[in-house]
Amino acid sequence: MRDDDKAVIGESPADWIAAIAARQDRTAFAALFAYYAPRIKAMLMRGGAAADAAEDLAQEALVTVWRKSAIFDPARASASAWIYTIARNLRIDRLRTDRRAKLFAASEIPAQQEPERPDGPLDAAELQECVRTALDQLPAEQLRVVQLSFFEGRAHGDIAAALNLPLGTVKSRLRLAMGRLHHLLGDLT
Amino acid sequence: MTITHHPSDATLAAFASGTLDEMRGLVVATHLSLCARCRDAVATLEQVGGTLLEGAEPASLSAGALERTMTRLDAQDMAPAAEVVLAKTELALPAPLSRYPLGSWRWIGRGVRWREVGVEGDDDIRVFMLKAAPGTRLPRHKHNGTEWTCVFEGAFHHALGRFGPGDFDEADESVEHDPVVEDGVPCICLVTLQGGIKLQGWMGRILQPLIRL
Repeated sequence: MRDDDKAVIGESPADWIAAIAARQDRTAFAALFAYYAPRIKAMLMRGGAAADAAEDLAQEALVTVWRKSAIFDPARASASAWIYTIARNLRIDRLRTDRRAKLFAASEIPAQQEPERPDGPLDAAELQECVRTALDQLPAEQLRVVQLSFFEGRAHGDIAAALNLPLGTVKSRLRLAMGRLHHLLGDLT
Repeated sequence: MTITHHPSDATLAAFASGTLDEMRGLVVATHLSLCARCRDAVATLEQVGGTLLEGAEPASLSAGALERTMTRLDAQDMAPAAEVVLAKTELALPAPLSRYPLGSWRWIGRGVRWREVGVEGDDDIRVFMLKAAPGTRLPRHKHNGTEWTCVFEGAFHHALGRFGPGDFDEADESVEHDPVVEDGVPCICLVTLQGGIKLQGWMGRILQPLIRL
């Protein structure tokens, strides 16, 4: 990428999404694609998808980012978290149609009413930093369960079977990892 | 609305990682639409997913992947922001629920009405709304599976506490309970049952064939 292109479209994924929303900027799309498509493909393959299916879904995810760019709100979520939810929901829709039970696509839940929250919603940038710190500090056994759950998209029962652990242990490791996150978030406010 | 009962951490994690079935996911989503605290928790967990995605070792793409994707963009309309259209009902339903077809209320016994929620899925799991008159004693029951409830209006209580608007009751195998609806207004809630629920008493006999568990 030439320096002057960078100056035009900005340097962060959130800037790229904003450029797509503002003017259907294909240079920004290419930058976003180069970063996220190979990572989404990797994530889906770790979750058990074949290479061609994973690549098709990664492309679909970036097309969805293009289409929905106008509703991305950088105050509410980081670009990575938002793109993760898009890839997650596509995985639910496309790769698991063979399952007996459809999975719930947990996207864009609007608030039913104005909630009481004196300290306001979490700031997405602070949250991103905090999550990075927390993941760096997690004990290996908790991190493993978090990765299997969030990165590979495996159900808790499947994780228990894969690691040869009781289901309760998988859940308690997730709970401990979340406790660590809440603790760090609490320190921020 | 003061919400005191929330989904467990494991349930929020399953929800955020996209591994909950649609019916249980719907009940959790309904709670989230009423609970800022749990929306924040899910946003945190989705950031966990985003951070893991950033850290992934990139897989190589096939030649021409970007160009092929670019040609798909031409066929796309840019996003009109997704407006959620709320179904017109007598009760302002939480948004996640309003995306599903609802049956009409059916009287199923003294003080209790039942309404089907149209979610296709597993034979082993059901989701429905219940409306119970003040003072109603719901059937005592045990679980082999799970029973998750989100309250919209009114309240009930059982051994584990009082459950009012927005509260989430996550009962599993270990629970045998005997909910009683509070005096005042009817209690309206969304319930999902999974696995074998052993309903007892007169209402159990009425409800059991309806939910076919």
